[in-house]
Amino acid sequence: MSTIDPTQAPLPGDGCFEVHLHKSGQTLQVRPDQSILQVLQEAGHEVPYSCSQGVCGTCLTPVVAGQPDHWDMYLTPEEQAQGDAIMVCCSRSQTARLVLDL
Amino acid sequence: MFIKNTWYVACTEAELDGLGAKPLGRTICNEKMVFFKGPDGQAVAVEDFCPHRGAPLSLGQVCEGKLVCGYHGLEMGCEGKVVHMPGQRVRGFPANKAYAVTRRYGFVWVWPGDQTQADLAKMPTFEFFDNPGWAYSGGLYHVQADYRLMIDNLMDLTHETYVHASSIGQPEIDETPCSTSVENGQVVLQRHMSGIQAPPFWQMAMSANGLDPQAKVDRWQICRFTPPSHIMIDVGVALAGHGGFHAPPEVKAYSVVVDFITPETETSHWYHWGMARQFKPQDEALTARIREGQGKIFNEDMQMLQLQQANILRWPDRPLLMLNIDSGGVQSRRIIDRLLAEEQAHGVTA
Repeated sequence: MSTIDPTQAPLPGDGCFEVHLHKSGQTLQVRPDQSILQVLQEAGHEVPYSCSQGVCGTCLTPVVAGQPDHWDMYLTPEEQAQGDAIMVCCSRSQTARLVLDL
Repeated sequence: MFIKNTWYVACTEAELDGLGAKPLGRTICNEKMVFFKGPDGQAVAVEDFCPHRGAPLSLGQVCEGKLVCGYHGLEMGCEGKVVHMPGQRVRGFPANKAYAVTRRYGFVWVWPGDQTQADLAKMPTFEFFDNPGWAYSGGLYHVQADYRLMIDNLMDLTHETYVHASSIGQPEIDETPCSTSVENGQVVLQRHMSGIQAPPFWQMAMSANGLDPQAKVDRWQICRFTPPSHIMIDVGVALAGHGGFHAPPEVKAYSVVVDFITPETETSHWYHWGMARQFKPQDEALTARIREGQGKIFNEDMQMLQLQQANILRWPDRPLLMLNIDSGGVQSRRIIDRLLAEEQAHGVTA
């Protein structure tokens, strides 16, 4: 039985993905109607944030693995292409799992 | 509700230029705007609202053609786009509405409505501005009254007998019937008085033009309303029996009263008044004297209109009479209502 690395696998059809927190080891599910920020807050993680619409840059969070789906207006296109940081207020994942440095 | 897809006078160029590095906040047609000079000195207007925290941008400063918010230093550019803010990336900041603005005839004009329809070809033209054969001077009053009350006032000059008894009023105005016509979307109301004594203002003008101020004159008032709210009034006196309005220049003293009436709110407006004249156009002392006289006269109108507006607000349900002397105002309001309905039908009020 081969193991598929979920940080390389595409997003499943239901649009859900999981966020794994590298430091705390926690894994959280993000539904299509939730933002990563909401899921983090509901799990008790006080991530700094402000505008909630991808403009201000406050919630910039380092990405350890997986490929972000950028929806923000803060990062430059070059920074977005690097894929090592994400605005958790509005951006999502292109892979089944995103690993954040939290 | 206001006609918005049209040009209004926002301020004089002198007012904007005289502010130096300060912007000019001005509400026009219920839209709060801020005017400032862009990098090339061009007049610019955007919504007077900082997209950061909602502060009025008009409290800020203009620096190198950008409007810097006086609260946290957000820098607004000419197109309504935020161009810089200390410690921020501004790429995703929402834009402000930017208004089409142009300088012409010594005024800054603004198009408050749908910006895609803004069209310089729709700017009214006037022969007496930028013309060495004419002198022009005027002023600005901020009037706490519906702009249509000013239109009523200017399209019915029988009030001169009572409001301006000491300057341009005389009983012959009341006694001479007027005629009203609507031609090419313009309302023309005229009154021609024959063989009368000139009132004090016109005696002064006759003296200034080398005419005997005590001589009998023919006097005329021809009020022309064009939408949205510009009123030009041919006024003057000629020595009696020379053809009145059509008399040769050497026997008359005449001018055009220039009225640019810009709505601010439903119950207030900006009133740019002035007078253009062809006699002695180089005489600056006379220009100053006329402006002072006109300013006093029009201040009398402002006082009346403001108290009239307050009274109307106190009795909101009382209908007002429209008499034969009011036909100029009635026809002007009819044009305004038709244009308003057209704009509403096209859904263009943004």
